[in-house]
Amino acid sequence: MQPRLRVELRRRLDQLQLDIRFEMGSEILVLFGPSGAGKTQTLQAIAGLMTPDEGLICLNDTILFRRQSGSPAINLPPRRRRIGYVFQHNALFPHMTALDNVAFPLGNGAQARRRAYDLLERMHLAHLAWRKPHELSGGQQQRVAIARALATESPVILFDESFSALDQPVRDRLHADLRALQAERDLVVIYVTHNLNDAFAIGHRIAIVREGRIEQIGSLPEVCRYPINVRVAQLLGLTNIIRARVIRRDLEGVWLDWQGWQIAAALPAQPPTPGTVVTAFIRPEEIRLVYPDRPLHRFAGHNLLPGRIIERRPGWRLYYLQVAVGETALEIAHPYAAYADLETGLGCHVQIGFRPESVIIIPDGGTTEASAQVADHPSLCHRA
Amino acid sequence: MNWPAFWLSLQVTALATCGIFVIGLPIAIWLARVKFPGQTLVETALMLPLVLPPSVVGYYLLLALGRGSPLVEWFQIRILFSWPAAVVAAVVVGLPLMIQSSKAALANVDLRLEQAARTLGASELRIFLRITLPLARRGIIAGIVLGGARALGEFGATLMVTGNIPGRTQTLPVAIYDAVQAQRYADAHLMVLVMTAIAFVGLWWVRQLERARPLRSSPVVTEQGEEDATAFAR
Repeated sequence: MQPRLRVELRRRLDQLQLDIRFEMGSEILVLFGPSGAGKTQTLQAIAGLMTPDEGLICLNDTILFRRQSGSPAINLPPRRRRIGYVFQHNALFPHMTALDNVAFPLGNGAQARRRAYDLLERMHLAHLAWRKPHELSGGQQQRVAIARALATESPVILFDESFSALDQPVRDRLHADLRALQAERDLVVIYVTHNLNDAFAIGHRIAIVREGRIEQIGSLPEVCRYPINVRVAQLLGLTNIIRARVIRRDLEGVWLDWQGWQIAAALPAQPPTPGTVVTAFIRPEEIRLVYPDRPLHRFAGHNLLPGRIIERRPGWRLYYLQVAVGETALEIAHPYAAYADLETGLGCHVQIGFRPESVIIIPDGGTTEASAQVADHPSLCHRA
Repeated sequence: MNWPAFWLSLQVTALATCGIFVIGLPIAIWLARVKFPGQTLVETALMLPLVLPPSVVGYYLLLALGRGSPLVEWFQIRILFSWPAAVVAAVVVGLPLMIQSSKAALANVDLRLEQAARTLGASELRIFLRITLPLARRGIIAGIVLGGARALGEFGATLMVTGNIPGRTQTLPVAIYDAVQAQRYADAHLMVLVMTAIAFVGLWWVRQLERARPLRSSPVVTEQGEEDATAFAR
């Protein structure tokens, strides 16, 4: 049977009001958000290390926690829940060998030790079973911690920034192993991180947590492609967020007035009414420079804007340009080898173009707070 | 050498050390883990025997063990001027050292380890026996050794509550005092040497415990683990 975890919790904390609800099956769900957003507290509530003020936490048909008006309260202690929990600093028992650590939830006796050894073998650590935690590398320690969490037989494993202190290659290997493990055992995995790279490396779905609430939950491409509001867009580090007025809309798309230019945008799921001001973003990778002497591509026929290059910055994979367009600046990312024949020095005047599908209109929360935040956004403040 | 005093001292010290452990550990756990109003007050009171003059401690013990105290009137425990009174005096002066050392060690154990153990299905008792106690082991042993050494060296309060009856209630420190008073210096020399040697070994052992690598477990446990592991690897 597919495991199913249902979480609904509210808790008043010092700095924030935690109000989290989600449901998940056998998958890896990434809880992504800035530190202090309530991600760790959510894990603690599921494991039973923190008691919510009210809510309901169910695993399959078992109620782990319930405090709701109208039904008797239930609060299983952590040891009865036995939820696998891999802590930020692995929390291995320093006075026990790797094997003893893994055998700890299994009890005493030769049977327990054999099972623990099998689990270490599964994590490729059988040869280090008799080492103490301080004799293991950071990655190995986390593998022991995972094996120990597996030993609880829990279908749920929670990762609390577990790999954040590890080198990238070690982390990549652990991510790959964890994905394989999850598929192999149909685990319900919740993975807390504030690193978007990690989120993409591991997650099936992502939940954006901000100030104690889940702003948006969905598959990774979906959330990154269609953030539900400006706050999510900013947490995801999206740039080129613009504000524009809707001129008209037809069956194919929406026409926006941005600083006097007409821009074509794809039709969003909830089409905006003409006359309103909407927020949209354009990915830097999807903006191109247009060669003045070459024929235009079909898609480049729209959204041609004049600009002036005001900043050039080499990135890890792409080259970044800041282009002043009217009052504001847009960021453009292009491969190193692109635009070799084009003048792209500082101060050069260029023409930029992007497809209508690249202009994503963010469903407006309608709050003034959202628009206030846009005004603060660096890409808009950046003047030519 | 005053052998009866030597043996009595050993007997009193052994019993007192057991008493210090049995009484001191629960108090240390309580102080390290439970926050309650007036905690500082309790901790200060428990440390008092360290700084009070022995005669003051002895005076309190006379009050507690003498006629009119609940111990005597209700429970019929009459131990004043017999050797068990020396055990009581030794426990009282050794306890603060045990509590201080164990409390610090217990408070030092990372609470996250206990949380981890909780999520792994361990009962509170199992967590205490397998996680907390082994990790605080060094401080607790140090506390026992220091408390025991203090018990062995107890002089003033003992003198007041046991009555210094040679052969029956006279402990080694008291015997040394007697020997010096009677100008039997040869006797005193030997006994002083014995006391110094015991105290030195005790303190040296504590230093060794503190110097050992903080994360290492005792060799006994490691050997056990390796034995078990090879047993089923075969």
